[in-house]
Amino acid sequence: MLLLLCAFYFVASSPIQDTVKLAEVEVYAPALDRFAQGQKVISWTKKDLENYQGRSLADILQEQSPVFVRQYGAGMIASPAFRGTSAGHTAVFWNGLPINSPSLGQSDLSILPISAVDQVSLQFGNAGALFGNEAIGGSIHLETNSEFGKGLKAGISQQIGSFGLFNSNLIGGFSSKNFSSSTKVYREFSNNNFPYQDLGQIGTPAVKEDHAQFEQIGLVQDLAWNLNESNQLKAAFWWNKTNREVQPVMGSNTQDEQEDQSIRAVLDYFHFGKKSIWNLKTGVVQDKMLFSESLNQTNQYFVSGDWDRTFSEKWNTKTGVRFTLAKGELSTYTEDDSRVELYQSTKFTSSENLAFSINLRQLIYSGTFAPFTPNLGMDWSFWKKGSQFLQLKTSIGKGFKVPTLNDRFWNPGGNPELKPEESMNGELGLNWSGTGKITWNQSLTYYRMSVDNWIIWLPKGSVWTPENIKKVSNQGIEYQGSLAGGIGTWNWELMTSYTYSKAVTTEGTDENDQSLGKQLPYTPQHQANAKVRLEKSGFSSSLGTYFVGERSVTADNPRMMPSFQLFNFSLGYDQLSRGKLHFPLSFQINNVFNSDYQVLYLRAMPGRSFQFNLSILV
Amino acid sequence: MSQATHGGIIIRNARFHVTLKLNYKHMKLNKLLWASALISVSFACSDSGEEKPLGKYDNGILIMNEGNFGTNDGEVYYLNPNTEELLPNIFEAENLRPFAGLLEDMVLEADRLYLVANTGKVEIVNPADFKSLGAVSAELDQPRSLAVNGSKLFISDYGPYDASYATPDSYVAVVNGLDGGVVSKKIEVSDKPEDLFSYENYIFVASSEANKIEIIDATQETVVTTIELEASPKQFNAEGGILWVYAIATDEVIFYTLNLSSLTLENSYTVPVANATNRISFDGDDKMYILTSSGYPDYNDAVVTIDIEGNTATATELMTGSGFYGIGFDDDLDQIYVANSNGFQGNGTVTVLSETGSVIRSFEVGRGPSGFLVY
Repeated sequence: MLLLLCAFYFVASSPIQDTVKLAEVEVYAPALDRFAQGQKVISWTKKDLENYQGRSLADILQEQSPVFVRQYGAGMIASPAFRGTSAGHTAVFWNGLPINSPSLGQSDLSILPISAVDQVSLQFGNAGALFGNEAIGGSIHLETNSEFGKGLKAGISQQIGSFGLFNSNLIGGFSSKNFSSSTKVYREFSNNNFPYQDLGQIGTPAVKEDHAQFEQIGLVQDLAWNLNESNQLKAAFWWNKTNREVQPVMGSNTQDEQEDQSIRAVLDYFHFGKKSIWNLKTGVVQDKMLFSESLNQTNQYFVSGDWDRTFSEKWNTKTGVRFTLAKGELSTYTEDDSRVELYQSTKFTSSENLAFSINLRQLIYSGTFAPFTPNLGMDWSFWKKGSQFLQLKTSIGKGFKVPTLNDRFWNPGGNPELKPEESMNGELGLNWSGTGKITWNQSLTYYRMSVDNWIIWLPKGSVWTPENIKKVSNQGIEYQGSLAGGIGTWNWELMTSYTYSKAVTTEGTDENDQSLGKQLPYTPQHQANAKVRLEKSGFSSSLGTYFVGERSVTADNPRMMPSFQLFNFSLGYDQLSRGKLHFPLSFQINNVFNSDYQVLYLRAMPGRSFQFNLSILV
Repeated sequence: MSQATHGGIIIRNARFHVTLKLNYKHMKLNKLLWASALISVSFACSDSGEEKPLGKYDNGILIMNEGNFGTNDGEVYYLNPNTEELLPNIFEAENLRPFAGLLEDMVLEADRLYLVANTGKVEIVNPADFKSLGAVSAELDQPRSLAVNGSKLFISDYGPYDASYATPDSYVAVVNGLDGGVVSKKIEVSDKPEDLFSYENYIFVASSEANKIEIIDATQETVVTTIELEASPKQFNAEGGILWVYAIATDEVIFYTLNLSSLTLENSYTVPVANATNRISFDGDDKMYILTSSGYPDYNDAVVTIDIEGNTATATELMTGSGFYGIGFDDDLDQIYVANSNGFQGNGTVTVLSETGSVIRSFEVGRGPSGFLVY
């Protein structure tokens, strides 16, 4: 019965790895959804990400997924909200390493550039068992990929656009049968001196933003070796540095500056046995944040090992352990946190059409047990006719969030007595897909979730301190559809999505809490997006739109922010070549109708902007 | 409601002092003065008892809602205490734009209401209809309060933060023109100036971190005299020709009186009230109401009334709770207004108390309610 309470579906068609097979050119990466039966996953491949080169993860999530992104301005802090949860309820991974800041417990999507990654996947709902800490609303998985046997590759691309946009990218790679190296270097720059109407000044004059400059540089290096037939080594390194002028809220004239610098490195060793894969993983994530002159630094060290075993066609398991040491050196405290977590996943494939998974995880941090998180899921393709099929996805699971280092140790105010946040999620999804003259995939998911012991910082006299205050109940519907076909020599594609999300406070500070029964702040009930794309002999054109409904500024909802809808347009040609060189060209208009909008109260956002992209590829 | 009575008053003769016997008569309300005076967290005094035109927002209580840091949703609510009619967000309602700032202080002077936003501006409205008259919108950093002297505005400002969040460059900004305009001069003062008081050709500055009162000559626009205190000055209050200074220390509050002709301290009255905040309201008679907050680890807030009569003062706890953020007093109905920020998670609430501390009613107001202007 519990199993049927929850649900889910599936949009991207990622291959499901049921048996251990390693293609010759492949660098092994365990599939995200290998044990994620019943859970909703969306993936964007390298090709899907091409249109987002020079932009950030925030943009693609906002424009093409059901996730709401709280943006504090152009290029400013952007945090994801999955299914009405908060920014700290999203786990973010890079090549399997959790990269959320251990002091803040979240990531800033604006400084995760699309240029640095090759694949992005989103998983929705509680996945404490599969992904661990902070996978409450969902999780984001960034991957870099490399291949063997592709020879030499190189490319340069340049983007020039409105408001001083000037992005440069260099890629280079070499791979033989047993060695692969791939390098990316990028610099992204924008003055962000866009015009807006300053509501904070008498007469609301039109002014130009003069304190939102953004500069980001980075280097990504991927390496892979086939040591021999059954052993593979893979390494990835990512350095990213962002300097931002912090865009003031209208009515303020703050001149803050923020510098973020991250170094992330991961080393994977895979041993392929007859029916099993051993994976040893070690990694480091270092984050340095300098806000005006105050420096906060955290280091995380990871060591993990797991064993993925195929017993029979029906039974697969994966068992592992991970150790984490998080060290925080912040302006107001220096503290360490050591964590150990054990996880186990089992998948039972009853038939070609029916598979179940059960996932379990127990995390212990600084000697304290986080909530034990089991998860049960099922994928059932129950109807098939010709090239059409219907699939039912359902899952139920738990999630948790360990109080962040700031929550526990910030001086003054940190509360070492905090309990972990704990959540419960169930979902049920139906997926209808078919192929033929028209290819389609339509899915509908209903989810229901609650988050307990939600941590809120409250002022106590002059000191703010966090407490386990809230209980929140979320439910909603996510629809996602894609249609593709051809008319003559034209290919067309239509993608649509709609999300309804009801996330209300069910327990607050006390019974007089005005937020009780009301929608959480900055959580739109309605969100939708659509994109139509046409393609003919190298020419492509797309028109996309996204709509964000009304949302409140505070938990008690007295002030609502108006809904907005934006349109983006792009035009491209990718058949231009000379000898071995290719010159893909594209042109984009963002916010075509120059709509005046704010995502968050009094945070100015840019109007219409133009962008040209030119690449040279070998 | 617990009633804790703190003992008598300690009178310290001020350093500069000429003994002036505390005269009870001086504490009496000057009704004429108060007819146009205001009570707020930052009391500012009109020197004359001039009449105001009657408008939509006359004869009532303006509730100052500071707003939330980073959201700039400060606003003003209007309350008619007789009919209990409450009008929300009257700045935005009358001017069709958000206030867009953190509202630190409201000062009623020269027929204008000055809305001081610590996010870096002063909006000037007609108090009768709240229509915008002007603004000081550039060159300010963290303005705290304002005083009018002749045709000049004096604005106390913490100045910008430095690397360690200190404010070593505090100043008092001068603007020529009662309807705002550009800052013509910044007069350097000690760290973190708070309340200002204008008298004849002088501006008195409560320099809260330096435990001083600095006196500016309004014509020369320079600090001409400094008075050292033994506690942090927060608020001025003029009554019956005497300028009172409310100052706080960890375990006590001190009320000083200043001699306005010699610009020296006269007396100080120390009351053993611990953990006092800068929130105070004077009832215009012989009482004041202050908020206290115990801080870590218990975070108990209280409304304490201090009654100074002759040489003695009694401090009585009227109400305890948490989240108290502003205090006011309605002299007509003898009612105490206590604002609660509700943790800034959403709107705050106001509780109306009788003079003896019994709760009359409670209602929701804007975000971070921090003070009241009764007129």
